[in-house]
Amino acid sequence: MPSGVGSAGFHLDQIINPSILYLLCVLGAAGVCLALPRKGVSPQVFGGLLAGAIGGLAMLFLGLKNPEHLPNIYFYVFSVVALGAALRVITHPRPVYAALYFVLTVVATSGLFLILSAEFMAFALVIVYAGAILITYLFVIMLATQSPGEEQVEVLADYDAAAREPIGASVVGFLLLAILTTMMFRGPTGWSPPPSVSERDTLAAMPRKIEAALRNAGTLPGGSRIRTHDETGHAMISEDGLTVRVITPDGERSIALPDGLTPTNADYLGFNLMRDHPGSIEIAGIILLMAMLGAVVLSRKQVQIDEEEKMRHAARLARGEEAGGSA
Amino acid sequence: MILSNPLLHTLAQSGFPQPMHSATLAHYLVVSAVMFILGLIGFLTRRNLIIMFLCTELMFQAAGIAFVAFGRFHLDFSGQTFVIFVLTVAAAEAAMALALVVLLFRRKETLDASEWKDLRG
Repeated sequence: MPSGVGSAGFHLDQIINPSILYLLCVLGAAGVCLALPRKGVSPQVFGGLLAGAIGGLAMLFLGLKNPEHLPNIYFYVFSVVALGAALRVITHPRPVYAALYFVLTVVATSGLFLILSAEFMAFALVIVYAGAILITYLFVIMLATQSPGEEQVEVLADYDAAAREPIGASVVGFLLLAILTTMMFRGPTGWSPPPSVSERDTLAAMPRKIEAALRNAGTLPGGSRIRTHDETGHAMISEDGLTVRVITPDGERSIALPDGLTPTNADYLGFNLMRDHPGSIEIAGIILLMAMLGAVVLSRKQVQIDEEEKMRHAARLARGEEAGGSA
Repeated sequence: MILSNPLLHTLAQSGFPQPMHSATLAHYLVVSAVMFILGLIGFLTRRNLIIMFLCTELMFQAAGIAFVAFGRFHLDFSGQTFVIFVLTVAAAEAAMALALVVLLFRRKETLDASEWKDLRG
C-alpha cells in the first residue's frame, strides 16, 4: 500500500504552513474584492493581477513541503487557466463574456480530468457543459437583453456595472476557504480504502471484448469462441491474468491474451454505473423529464388577445362555418 | 519516446491507474475549493440573474473536480459515476433556472435580482 493512502491521517502542516495559508487567504480576498466590478474608478486590473499572483504563490507553497509528490506540469497549466477564467466569470461586467469565460473554465477542467485519467468524464464535460448547457445560457442572455436603440451606444446595464456588497462577500468567501482548507486534512483518520476493482475481473466480464481483441491479434483459430462461465457469463481468465480458456473445434484450450488488453476508463465507469448504481440512472431520468416538463410549463408564453381581436376572430369563424354549411 | 510525455501517457494508458499520493490529492482539492469559493462570491455579489446561475454551475464544476480527484485517490470509480449525476442535476437545474429567468424578465424587463427584493417577505 502506498504511503498516505487510507491509514495515516494527513495534516495541514504537512501540506502547507498554516500561517502562510491564512495570509494568502486574506490577500486573495483583497484581490477578488478589488477585481469585482464597481462604478467610477475601478481597480479591476490590479485586483485581478493580485488575485492571480496569490493563486500562483499558493500553488508554489503547496509544492514546497512535498517536492517529490508534485502533480505533473499540465496540472499547473490547466488549473491556472481554470481559476483565472473562473475569476473572470465573476468579474466580467458583460454576461456574454462571462459565459464564454465559463466555457474556458469547462475546457480547462476537462484537462484536469484527463490528467486524473477520467477520459470519459472529460469528454462528457465538454459535450454536455460547453456544448449544451452553455449554449442554452447564451440563448437566454440574447433573449433577455434589450437591444440598444439607434442613437445610443451600447451601454452596460446598471446591475451589471456594479457588484453588490463586494467586501462582505469576499471576506465571507475567503473565511470559508480558510476553514475548508484547514478541515480538509483533518478528516476521519484510519479510513480503509474501499475494495478496489480488479483489472482481471473487469476484463473477464467482457468476453466479447476479449474475443474481438484475439481476432484482431490473429491468435484465435477459426470457428472457435471464448469459453464463458455457465452462471455468470464471464470469460475464464487464469489466476495470473495471462491466458484465457477458448473452445476450438478440436477441443478446449488456453490462449495467451494479447499484450495491452486492459479495460478502459469507460469500461470501468460503465460497470460502476450500470452494475452498482442502476436505480440512480432511473432517478436521473425522472429528474431530467421533470425538468423538461417544468421548463416547458414555466416558459410557455400566454398570448394576449384583446377583446376586439377576439370578437373579430369569432365573427370570422362564424362566417367560415356559414360558408362551409351552404356549400 | 512519445509516451514519456506525461499527458499523452495519461491519455494512452487505458489500464488501471496507479495510486496517487495524498500531497498530490491536496493540490486538486485546493483548486476545487478555490473554484467553489469563487463561484460562491460571484453568486453573492453579482446582481444579474443569469450570472448568478452561471456561478452555481461554477460550484458544480468545483464539486466535480473534488469527486474525480478523490475517486482517483481511492481507485474507486464511484467518484466519476457521481459526477455523471452531478452533470444531470446541473442540466436540469439550468433548464429550470433559465425558464424562470425568462419568465421573470418578461414581468419586469430587467435581469436585476434586487428588483425582486419584495419577495423577501
